Amino acid sequence: MASKTVAKDIITLRGSAAIVSEFFGYAANSILYNRGVYPEESFVKVKKYGLPMLLTQDEGVKSFIANLNSQLSEWLEAGQLHRIVLVIMSKATNEVLERWNFTIETDSEVVEKGVSREKSDKEIMREIQAIMRQIASSITYLPCLDEACVFDVLAYTDKDVAVPFTWIESDPKLIANPQMVKLHSFDTKIHKIDTLVSYKNDEWDEQ
Amino acid sequence: MEEGQIQIERLDPETEFLLSKRQTGNEWELFKENVRPLKRGRKVHLLNEALKSHNDNQLKKSLLENRRRLIEAIDEYQGDDPLHPWLECIKWVQEAFPMGGDYSGLVVIYEQCVRTFWHSDRYKDDLRYLKVWLEYAENCGDAEIIYSFLEANEIGKTHAVYYISYASHLESKNKMKLANEIYNLGISRNAQPLEKLKDSYRKYFARSMRRPKPTDEDTVEKRLPGRSFGTVLSRGENRMQTTENSDLVKKNVRAHATPLTIFKDISNVDRQPDASKTDLNSWRTLGARAERNKENNAIPTKWTTYKKPGSITGGITASSIEVFVDEECEEIHKRNNEGGDKSSMLQLRHGDGQDLKKETELLRENPLRNFPPNSLPR
Repeated sequence: MASKTVAKDIITLRGSAAIVSEFFGYAANSILYNRGVYPEESFVKVKKYGLPMLLTQDEGVKSFIANLNSQLSEWLEAGQLHRIVLVIMSKATNEVLERWNFTIETDSEVVEKGVSREKSDKEIMREIQAIMRQIASSITYLPCLDEACVFDVLAYTDKDVAVPFTWIESDPKLIANPQMVKLHSFDTKIHKIDTLVSYKNDEWDEQ
Repeated sequence: MEEGQIQIERLDPETEFLLSKRQTGNEWELFKENVRPLKRGRKVHLLNEALKSHNDNQLKKSLLENRRRLIEAIDEYQGDDPLHPWLECIKWVQEAFPMGGDYSGLVVIYEQCVRTFWHSDRYKDDLRYLKVWLEYAENCGDAEIIYSFLEANEIGKTHAVYYISYASHLESKNKMKLANEIYNLGISRNAQPLEKLKDSYRKYFARSMRRPKPTDEDTVEKRLPGRSFGTVLSRGENRMQTTENSDLVKKNVRAHATPLTIFKDISNVDRQPDASKTDLNSWRTLGARAERNKENNAIPTKWTTYKKPGSITGGITASSIEVFVDEECEEIHKRNNEGGDKSSMLQLRHGDGQDLKKETELLRENPLRNFPPNSLPR
């Protein structure tokens, strides 16, 4: 829990990293739920960020995300993580259908000098809440994923970062001519996260 | 796997977007209850514009203009793919009227499009054409007649999505045996993409095994979120949208057929309550113009006295779209129902909201009402 590591309204690098990686875990779960990548009944409701959030009970996905989070925290604390992308692909064709792009700007002074910043926890939570609401509402414009899908997570780090054991180097898995929608951002004063979703264009014209 | 996580010589579109500091308007989020999701997704900037415009008279006028132009484009098209301008028009109506609703003329244009090409060999296997039919079916009370029509006229039978859509509809009506047959039919015909069809069948089968009894509407709730968004709005998709409300189903199920069933019950009270009977009657009387005229004239009076209990989204937001009606054109209201494409096209062109709503009502009730009797399945 972020609130344990972060003293009242002072944000430390470690605390911020924890907030961000935790955010990503919940966001990933929300996306997998809302986009129907995994069946509804494999999720359980919990309270987080003042919202009902869904978490997967699928053991494979749970451990995947848990491992991910610890790696992300590590990179975030070192200021080495620039972007994290959750990619949704067609199971049958591997075509990339949707990308949820979380871009990270790190305050390098904090990384270098170990100083801390100040920001109201409540406000950070409000910002995160706004993003979570948007993720859930995005079915308003996202195309229906009417086929079986799988997901993957891409991390964009500094070039000199060693690839951890359970990760592989990858191509960026971009979508050609995507539609893009910028969602809200949140800022811990140490890490600033911009959220963007890009998706495949309308395909009515395809034969 | 290829080398390099951040080998970007030129910026990828997303980074470029973020660096440009472009903001996406958030009308889509503010007015999300007014937006009917599309299977194909929406372009957010168009959606935002459309949502803004419905509160702005200037923009409303230009919407009307746009629609006229697109309809003209249909008439004037010279190329070798006459379906194309229709699709452009349909897409535009979907974007410009995010809420859908009866005043948008969406159902009317679906109907006119499918009716224009139903006899055309060229489009029998055209996936785009089939998709228009399927979207039309989603909007009608009893879609089964449409699916039968497609089968009888051999439209779309090579496409998996036809069978998936049909079976989905049957499933929502608890016609499990028939749904099963439809899946098997599609598989035996090697409909493409076959894997997708088989996949859908497997999931359907699993659902059908879990069903306790085939009669309860409650059982629909236990279904997995359907991947076939187009026909059945499973809970997965429905979580965040407010489509037509269903008074019939007490629980949270919003299978598309159920809300539309209400629609059927409410309107056209002078018709037989039994849907199939209604259809039969209308087939026989399809050619009789007097009959149709009578319907068109009778309905307005019923409308003014009738109160709709269901909160059909189109109805609620319709008040904002009603003003859309081009005042100058109200007099040019076409009364003649010659049945030819020309006059109904003119009807669409003048964009009288009331006309569109009336026609939409009639079509929802009886989707094939304008089709010649000899084309209808026996």
